[in-house]
Amino acid sequence: MSMNNDLRNGFIANMPIGLSVFTYGSVLGILCVQKGVTLHELIFMNLFIFAGSAQFVMVDMWTSSLDIIGIITAALMINLRYFLIGASLHPLFINSSKTEKFKYMHLVADENWAVTIDKAKRQNITPLFLFGGGLCLLFVWSLGTTGGFLLGEFIKNPADYGLDFAFVAIFTALCVNMYQGGKDILPWMIAALFSVTCEYLFPGKIYIIAGALAGSLSALYLNKEEET
Amino acid sequence: MSEINFTSLIIIFCVAVGTYSLRVSGLLLSNKFVQYKKVNQFLEYLPATLIVSLIFPAIIKEGTVGLIATIFIAVIMYKTKNVFLSMFVGVLIVALSRNFI
Repeated sequence: MSMNNDLRNGFIANMPIGLSVFTYGSVLGILCVQKGVTLHELIFMNLFIFAGSAQFVMVDMWTSSLDIIGIITAALMINLRYFLIGASLHPLFINSSKTEKFKYMHLVADENWAVTIDKAKRQNITPLFLFGGGLCLLFVWSLGTTGGFLLGEFIKNPADYGLDFAFVAIFTALCVNMYQGGKDILPWMIAALFSVTCEYLFPGKIYIIAGALAGSLSALYLNKEEET
Repeated sequence: MSEINFTSLIIIFCVAVGTYSLRVSGLLLSNKFVQYKKVNQFLEYLPATLIVSLIFPAIIKEGTVGLIATIFIAVIMYKTKNVFLSMFVGVLIVALSRNFI
């Protein structure tokens, strides 16, 4: 019984953040129209990729002559973090079968992952909570992107409305939510510095991984100092 | 009306398979390396530093307005914990600056 409750509770717990996901989904939908991504392609991405930031990057790189390798590399580079997100879910899936793992992992996104990790700190939950959140996000994401696509016919210049900044804005907010105290400041600054430098020096999206690695590795060193 | 182009299907398919593999393999391989304390610490910092690296260059590119919007987003988020409100104010600041400054 509590299993079904977890599914429902996970769905409900993701509704507030779902509002934001809906909004920046609609921004993506609008951008799709500008970039010539068709509605079918958008829906396929939503269902089978289900990763907002990667979809933003893909749509951003979409042109009439598609750079297959470039787009795939950039998208997977951004999604590399899902490997680590998957690894961080180890305690939640500790009593789960392989089948459950294969079933529930597809709908893991930044938002339901963050909500679940936060919840798991205070309460005993099953992977169904995560999956319920994923269903909620899939629903609002599909609704938002499709709505934006239909609206996109009428919006000639989304940048006038600051809509291209929505993605940055939502991730800034999510980042603030992850702040756990002074020990975060230095690793975050190192990540910021590295990402900006690498973005300037190297082509493509390698700066995202470079910044994250630099920041996280520096945290290991700084924490070690703390312990002794 | 909207035709499906073969190249775009290949791209979507490859990204979909790759992304799912990353999600599942992270979880399946996790028991191999979570026993190391260092790895856990590293994993703990990774999500936030990834997000910082994802957004910071974009904020810098936006210039002063980007920084001002970011400060507003951070303060509102810290005080209210409301993602939507924070995002709305951030986008509004950028939109106003583009139209009126």
